[in-house]
Amino acid sequence: MSANAAGLSGVDTANRQRRRIAPPVIRGLLWAAIGFLVFNTLVSQVIDRQPYDPFVTRVSATVGWAAAVIGWLLGVGAWEVIVRPFFGHPVEWDIPNDWRRYFMFSTDHKVVGLQYIFTTTGSFLLAGLAAMMMRMELMNAKLWVFTNPGAYLTTVGIHGTVMMFSVGTVALVGGFANYFIPLMMGSNSSAYPRMSGLSHWLLPAGIATVFLSPLLGQWTTGWRAYAPLSGQDPSGIVFYYLGVFAMTTSSLLVAINLTATIIFNRAPGLTWNRLPMFGWGILAVSLLTIIWVPEIQMTFIISLLNLIVPFSLFEQTGSPLTYMESFWLFGHPEVYIIVVPAFALWQEIIPVMGQKTLFARQWGVLGLVFVMLFSGLVWAHHMFTNMRNSEMLPFSFFTEMISIPTGFSYLVVLGTLWGARLKFSTPTLFVLMSMFNFLIGGITGVLLADPVINLQTHDTFFVLSHFHYTVIGSMVFTWLAAAYYWLPKLSGRMYNETLGKLGAIWVFIAFNSAFGQMFFVGLRGMNRWVAVYPQYLQNMNFSISMFAFLLGLGFLFNFVHITWMWNKGKPVGQNPWNGKTLEWFGTPKPGIATFSPLPHVETGFYDYSENTPPTPSPPKRM
Amino acid sequence: MIDILLFAFFWLIATLLGEWGVHAMEARGLYYSAATSQALDGEKAVAFILTMLVPVIAFVVVMLIYTAIRFRSRKSLQFRDNKVFIGIWVLFSIALNILFFVHPSASALEQMFNNEEARLNRHDLIVNVTARQWEWIFSYPQYGIQTAEDSNGNSTLYLPVNQNVRFVLRSYDPYHTYDPNGAVIHDFWIPAFGLKQDIIPGETRLEYVHTNKITSYDVDPMVRVQCAEVCGPGHPFMEAPVHVVSSSDFMKWVQAQRKLEAS
Repeated sequence: MSANAAGLSGVDTANRQRRRIAPPVIRGLLWAAIGFLVFNTLVSQVIDRQPYDPFVTRVSATVGWAAAVIGWLLGVGAWEVIVRPFFGHPVEWDIPNDWRRYFMFSTDHKVVGLQYIFTTTGSFLLAGLAAMMMRMELMNAKLWVFTNPGAYLTTVGIHGTVMMFSVGTVALVGGFANYFIPLMMGSNSSAYPRMSGLSHWLLPAGIATVFLSPLLGQWTTGWRAYAPLSGQDPSGIVFYYLGVFAMTTSSLLVAINLTATIIFNRAPGLTWNRLPMFGWGILAVSLLTIIWVPEIQMTFIISLLNLIVPFSLFEQTGSPLTYMESFWLFGHPEVYIIVVPAFALWQEIIPVMGQKTLFARQWGVLGLVFVMLFSGLVWAHHMFTNMRNSEMLPFSFFTEMISIPTGFSYLVVLGTLWGARLKFSTPTLFVLMSMFNFLIGGITGVLLADPVINLQTHDTFFVLSHFHYTVIGSMVFTWLAAAYYWLPKLSGRMYNETLGKLGAIWVFIAFNSAFGQMFFVGLRGMNRWVAVYPQYLQNMNFSISMFAFLLGLGFLFNFVHITWMWNKGKPVGQNPWNGKTLEWFGTPKPGIATFSPLPHVETGFYDYSENTPPTPSPPKRM
Repeated sequence: MIDILLFAFFWLIATLLGEWGVHAMEARGLYYSAATSQALDGEKAVAFILTMLVPVIAFVVVMLIYTAIRFRSRKSLQFRDNKVFIGIWVLFSIALNILFFVHPSASALEQMFNNEEARLNRHDLIVNVTARQWEWIFSYPQYGIQTAEDSNGNSTLYLPVNQNVRFVLRSYDPYHTYDPNGAVIHDFWIPAFGLKQDIIPGETRLEYVHTNKITSYDVDPMVRVQCAEVCGPGHPFMEAPVHVVSSSDFMKWVQAQRKLEAS
């Protein structure tokens, strides 16, 4: 049915069922391997053959990788769904109505959303494991887990890159927004379903590339890949650039798709004035992505060429600062790409849980939009230690000012909480915790915006803790809030309230104990990117590591709980929280059109005063 | 009404507790160890911002806890607007941010720029700092010291107390000058000095401090030079002990260094 919605109806089913192909993921892997081998060999042995070169060189790995990703995308289904129809062939793509649909190209936004959710969760666990290894190393002031500091730094780089580009940027946007934005807009499909199907499969390719980067050699730069150091390391950095290219392209396609969905696929009556807060958040974040992701992609392509041609654009004879500036020009908006959907979700979940009219809605929207607009004006605060003095004041000014629109999200939620009939459920708890954590992240952000303080805390664990408060503390906590909040919609089942609260309190205590101490260890002189550090910091680091392990186990506990309840939880009705946004009124199953007929929206979604009619009024035929 | 009064009461209590906590931390030293006037300026800025922000933090935290406990399964109070509350919130957040920009951001930065004014720095001790992978090299052109080393050949930094010091920072490898692209970005940081400066290959950058306390790496591990910008696998090992000594001890050390270099 969803396939029909996306325009993928086959002509004769009987004929198609005779066509047998290998499982798409297996076929994709095979085609990727063939692509890599053929093109790598062609480049390193035929076109660009140099004496004493190994079989895989930087150039051949780049070309081979591009062929491998194309092979992979074609293999998982782009061949049947995109390429052949482009040349006029009928679409021959059967999507079985069971678990197999998650392992192949799909144009159903719910399937794509779930694929993103699974992939993101998997990469979160793997990159989290990297973090656990780092914390284990840091339990001792001497090297004891890793055999050399370069291996530690490579782990740091992989952890940061995957968490940034496959969890932070993707979890709420590629995952929950792909699933819920079309539902909230009252639409049966996203605007560009085929592009959406393609976008997900770039993500595992990118994740795998980054995790496999040690095959090409260590890279010690961390996720920022500062030149000229990036040019000195062995070649692992090549797979960093390529992997990030795949992951950011995935995010870019999602952003284009969701922007178009919000603009063009709204149900009749869903005017801009009635757009749900999550819709505003995703619109803001998608525009940010569309503006800034191409910028970082160009920067990384230039850096890659700088490395493999090679040029010396960013070395001493070029301009090292140019790379840093190009990087942070994207690097700061990235922070808001991560956190704006979280702000929007607070304003989405709290009115439902409080059964209370959303307070000062227009200020909430203003806040989201102004955070988006300001985010391009603050980036150079990452560079107070290396910029001209005259540049410090304007960037310090805008960095402090961005806390004003950020504060509007708090204004809205606190106003909504006041006098509410709050249901103290797990999602509520996670949202409140997330707000507390972002408050700490924001307060330390005000400190960091002050240049004189920044010159001391820059590049220490103080900064490290600050941005983990904004990313884990607010975005990951809100991610879990959203997972519990929408679990009844995703699975038709309810989680266990006691276990959910236990999980929330567990991660909250572990998170604050681990990262709270990091502020102090940073002020005491713990700098970043060190596997080995002075002895006097060992006790504090040991304690941080213990709570970090507890935090890792806490996340695992929440994921196991959610997965378990997904299959075995108590079945619940369509709308257990009594929410008013459209997703609560559609059919929850993937593979089936949500709304038939389309709903007709007659009021906003956040009015809980008693005389308001229920939104949407019983669907009318168009 | 009772809710507002109760909330205000808890807010007041939390604010008082918070201010007490901030001042206890301030008394102990927010930077743990501060051996220059620049570090003291930084500490003052942190203390000022935290003191001003404690009521704000207390407001949000008490609000989160209070509403979560108090407003449960009663009849809800429906309203979508409160012009007075929103007005106060918006104006107050703008005012607070402008205050922080004026003081301490701009005021402390002006102080820092003044430290760097050439006319105020005629009698500075000049230390040329060269960063290479992975070593600090300190030389004192005014005293003819090429590489300041202890008797084991490890780089060491000696500074006289109550003196303006101008660090001239460069990143290149003096032992491999045939490779113009060999240098990477480093960061010159002495944790107890309260500031740091990136060292960019191809640029000469300056950092000014005014030492105000006799101390050394032997008594305080924060008195060390530490590279703070990742510069490869050797990054954690790129550190050197610092000694801030009286001016007579400094002159004794200069004589000893000269003798060491002559030998």
